Amino acid sequence: MPIWLVQLLAVARKEVRQTVRDKRMMFMLLGAPLLQLIVFGFAVDFDVDRVPTVVVDHDRTEASRTHLRRLFADGTLVRVADVPDERSAEAMLDNRGAAVVLVVPARFAADLARGRSAPVQVVIDGTDANRGSVAANAVARYFQQVALELAAAHGRVPVRPRTMPRVLYNPSLRTPPYIVPGIAAMILLIITTVVMAMGLAREREMGTLEQVLVTPLSPRVLMLGKLLPFVLIGLVDFGVALVAGSYVFGMPLRGSVPLVLSGTLLYLMCTLGIGLFVSTLARTQQQAFMAGFLVMLPAILLSGTMTPIDSMPSWMRPLTLVNPLRYFISFLRKSLLEGAGLDVLWPNLVALAVLGGTLFLLASLRFRRTLA
Amino acid sequence: MSTVLETSGLFRRFGKTEALRGVDVSVRRGELVGLVGPDGAGKTTLVRVLAGLLAPDAGTVRVLGRDPSKDPTVREAMGVMPQRYSLYGDLSIAENLQFFGRLFGLRKKDFDERTKRLLDITRLAPFTERRADALSGGMYKKLALACALLHQPEVLLLDEPTNGVDPVSRRELWELLHELVAQGMGVLLATPSMDEAARCHRVILLDQGRVLADGPPELLVRELDHPVLEVLGGDRNVVDAALLAHPDVRAASPAGTRLRVVLAPGSTERVRVALAALGARMTPVVADFEDVFLARTAHHEAVAEAGAEARAS
Repeated sequence: MPIWLVQLLAVARKEVRQTVRDKRMMFMLLGAPLLQLIVFGFAVDFDVDRVPTVVVDHDRTEASRTHLRRLFADGTLVRVADVPDERSAEAMLDNRGAAVVLVVPARFAADLARGRSAPVQVVIDGTDANRGSVAANAVARYFQQVALELAAAHGRVPVRPRTMPRVLYNPSLRTPPYIVPGIAAMILLIITTVVMAMGLAREREMGTLEQVLVTPLSPRVLMLGKLLPFVLIGLVDFGVALVAGSYVFGMPLRGSVPLVLSGTLLYLMCTLGIGLFVSTLARTQQQAFMAGFLVMLPAILLSGTMTPIDSMPSWMRPLTLVNPLRYFISFLRKSLLEGAGLDVLWPNLVALAVLGGTLFLLASLRFRRTLA
Repeated sequence: MSTVLETSGLFRRFGKTEALRGVDVSVRRGELVGLVGPDGAGKTTLVRVLAGLLAPDAGTVRVLGRDPSKDPTVREAMGVMPQRYSLYGDLSIAENLQFFGRLFGLRKKDFDERTKRLLDITRLAPFTERRADALSGGMYKKLALACALLHQPEVLLLDEPTNGVDPVSRRELWELLHELVAQGMGVLLATPSMDEAARCHRVILLDQGRVLADGPPELLVRELDHPVLEVLGGDRNVVDAALLAHPDVRAASPAGTRLRVVLAPGSTERVRVALAALGARMTPVVADFEDVFLARTAHHEAVAEAGAEARAS
């Protein structure tokens, strides 16, 4: 066995021993990812339904009652109370008893029957912007449908385009299949970036780096030996996340394994490069931890994991172009959910390879300089 | 005897502090060289430069004919024991030894033989499963030395190896050092202890980044042209204050119930007269290495403090 290989294995083995003995580290590596998967998988739910709604029906006709029943049948809104006037309805909005107030005006049914316009008032609690707009859309959608039906009943066929959405890849539009790849990518980022940076900062902090550097061990072998165990642990965590995503959250696993694995390895090159870079800036483990999170938060928020990149302000969008997480998330979604192949995914792989190569090269150069 | 380590004109600064200001040192095969100086003299910086951990701003370093900051191969023949705790505290004695043995690429047979011997000499054998951070100061230092000796280096650099070590372990460490040196190893040992310096073949006295003296300790003592005396009688506090204020007194430090003073060359009579007025008298004593150190290092006020600390420890 060549000496560098002996040294590499010695460093990796030492790293594993130290990690196993460090309870905090073990939690970061094994407990935290699982916790994240469960918390994010169950709690982060972009699907809005069962919005509590209070009704003020001034009309009180057979027709108004039917319309309200049909509107609530959709499930987006839930009728929590009927009150006689707007004042008490708004009181319920104020004390959070309801998020939406529907006011049906008097003579609603009569106006509709005569072909006059009949305004239905929708008062929305806007503190949760997403929920508010979903609720408003649900009401608007229903009454558009009503308008069409009325037009048809009066013998007038309206000339207007109709949309017939058919959803592919995630037909029920549930959140988990969309969010789990994101979580898996985040877990990899945390383990490889923060843990890697902390591992190197620990050697510096404890003075062990100095003792290691007076041996024939080259900085390159030291670096590789230290990251090898974390790459393996990261891949295991990643696999666990995907399997859990598939069994617990019903996420489809369509992509080819070698393709997903190669994309993941390229992504790891990026995250390890970042971790290495962070470690050159930090003297202590605490600094490395803080710096790691400073990098991670924007990386996650500017990746399209939580919110679509298209809805970011235009001046911010270019930032996502240098974010490896962005390419990896879209790579994972396309390969896992759509089963896309290399013909579609090659731009993502190229972007990851370029970013990873650059980051890793810069970080290693800096790492070697800070050792001297 | 051939030279294993040599520097010339070493300069190194940290910001505004000039840690090394033109240092020339050398160590020969089979030679034990003590590097002494007060705290902040530049000892640790010099050791780090020699180990290749720090590049000098100017000057050259040659260890076994090679530059350690440019040619890492020299590390295969060099052992370094830093002042700071530098082993893996969460690994056991055996695991630390194994790790460093592998970094040096030792064959299993050599490794087993040498660890057995080193563990015997250092008497660490019964504790091999103990974690390094659970070891006493002395045991830890012995383990660090064992790790630095595993690959049988030709040059050994030690930075305050007996700092925080009990007297028994200290004696054992020194016995081991003498044995290694007798076998031909060249050793440079930085220490703040005058006792230890006096036990070296040769002493290099470093202060404020400069070499003030370089030679065998006995010779340096013999060549000392500063009178060394003990002061008796008089009011202790008054005499003390008078000595500190006197321009000819290079150092004054308590020695038991008496005061020991190192005077400027040829000033004995002047000081005797000054002390007589206070009811104190002086008797000459035999100089030791510490007096050399005190006489050579700068101004007497600073030196008096360092001397007091050195004697107290």
